[in-house]
Amino acid sequence: MIDLKFDRVSKKYRIYQESEQVPGKLRSLTRRLFGNRNDFWALRDVSFEVERGEALGIIGQNGAGKSTILKLLYNITAPTKGRISINGRLAALIEVASGFHPELTGRENVYLNGSLLGMKRREISRKLDNIVDFAGVSAFIDTPVKRYSSGMYLRLGFSIAAHLDPDILLLDEVLAVGDAQFQTKCIERINELRNAGTTIVFVSHNLGAVESLCDRVFLLRQGEIFRSGSARYAISEYEHMLTTTPASPSGNLTSVEASPAAEIIAVVFFNSKGFQTTMFATGDEVRVEVEYVVHEPLDAAVIEIYFYSIFGNLHTHFSTEVNRLDLSRGRGIIEFLCPELSLEVGSFNVEASIRRVGSSFTEHVDYKHATTVSIAKGKAVHGAFHTPHTWQRKRVESLECDDAAAKLIV
Amino acid sequence: MPSDGAPYALFAYAALLPWNYFSVGVSNATNSLTSHAQFVTKVYFPREILPITYVVAALFDFGVASTLLVGLMIYYRVSPTINALYAVPIILVLTCFSLAVSFFFSATQVRFRDIGVAVPLLLQIWLFATPVVYPLSAVPEHWRTLYSLNPMVGLIESFRQVIVMGNAPDTKSLVTSAAISVVLLVASYIYFKLVEATMADFV
Repeated sequence: MIDLKFDRVSKKYRIYQESEQVPGKLRSLTRRLFGNRNDFWALRDVSFEVERGEALGIIGQNGAGKSTILKLLYNITAPTKGRISINGRLAALIEVASGFHPELTGRENVYLNGSLLGMKRREISRKLDNIVDFAGVSAFIDTPVKRYSSGMYLRLGFSIAAHLDPDILLLDEVLAVGDAQFQTKCIERINELRNAGTTIVFVSHNLGAVESLCDRVFLLRQGEIFRSGSARYAISEYEHMLTTTPASPSGNLTSVEASPAAEIIAVVFFNSKGFQTTMFATGDEVRVEVEYVVHEPLDAAVIEIYFYSIFGNLHTHFSTEVNRLDLSRGRGIIEFLCPELSLEVGSFNVEASIRRVGSSFTEHVDYKHATTVSIAKGKAVHGAFHTPHTWQRKRVESLECDDAAAKLIV
Repeated sequence: MPSDGAPYALFAYAALLPWNYFSVGVSNATNSLTSHAQFVTKVYFPREILPITYVVAALFDFGVASTLLVGLMIYYRVSPTINALYAVPIILVLTCFSLAVSFFFSATQVRFRDIGVAVPLLLQIWLFATPVVYPLSAVPEHWRTLYSLNPMVGLIESFRQVIVMGNAPDTKSLVTSAAISVVLLVASYIYFKLVEATMADFV
């Protein structure tokens, strides 16, 4: 059974551009009446179907059209072209607690928000205790929500929507709500709904949550479905997409400080054949040359390069820390050699630093983004990283049994 | 100030009461969509609920303020006649007309915010184009037809006639007002629903 269907849907927004010729307040009037407007297609010719009980994830960069799809599904706005059909009771968490009135108490807001989301009064009364318990705000339920902390606010908002029992649930970045414990509760609740056969459309930048929740994922780019497939596939395509436009090209570094005592000039990666590249595979040999220039002599310096995931997590680093360097004025190159790269598949931002290490302090003399390296599938990684290892057969014993049994085991 | 023989306080209040209902309802309803942008852009619900809420709230205020009219009538020893029952259909038509104007203004205001600024001024002018502080008889005869195109004329004047004067309303002007109100209500509701589809993009 098809729950949601997008049939060649497009959505156009108008964007206005200021005209420089018309001064002051007249500008807004002329702009409104005569234009200078450009069309912006937030979605172009998007078609898809979602079956009953399926969990669909939508990922993509900001402005790719993710929220527009949700808004169209939720009937907040109408498509410019195309048709949308929806089959079943739909509930959405576009932005939790958006329908709260600050002057009303928590209890009153449960009724207000619940009815906005499409619950009947009797249904809300029946679920009120569950909703309040889930949100963990029982002690404050008769306090106006304007006195709530932002966490309480959001928890109550999520809790109402989570108790809707819809056929189709639209989720937009809701898992960014509350502390770790509450997030776990949210995921449990979503999984519960999912197991009960609720169709889910989940829009998020939290790729981990998308991967664990969704059967199928769309990667949107500029209002079109760029890739569609399993969560793992779409996410890796997304990671690839994010890094094909690196923040700054390799070897062309921009300085943090105006005139530091020492500077990193270039960070260049070489593969095992000695070619300069930024494409490696797990398990490859990697050689990195870090070129620096020293303006004032540095004692006890450390040169390091860091590998950050695109989400800003530090994954590993190469460092000269064990043997501190005394750098005199002039230029030099430090070479790092890694016989077997243990990074998993993905793209990593490489940052380089020269640190000065004192007895009780450490200070970056220079720190800059160097380049982006992409790690492709090489040696298999199950888990977070590849661990270099070898193996051999230590002992082979053949059992004194008949061959037929041995074959059965094989 | 001529007041057709009734005490002026009572004369004026009996017209101000329905006028305030109209003007408070319309001016609040005009801003109802933009002032609840957080609902409009985040949650789906039939948008007409918002302007309707404000008109209904104004109707409630009208009910409360009516007690003062009763007090004035007791004070001036004006007893109502059976014609006072005409007040019910008059208020019904007035509600239709308020809704019609509210739908139109609130939907238009989503795109053209200046409507919200213009409406109070418009209502001010409208007040003087309606026999609230002066009697209908003060309007020169040859202007009367043009003047009566304003649906509020028939409604306000009829309300005062049936409550204070105890007369039956001028059926012709009341029916005209009712017809205009219903036609406008249907038209502005259709317009509202057309604008509703993309309201969230502009609000």
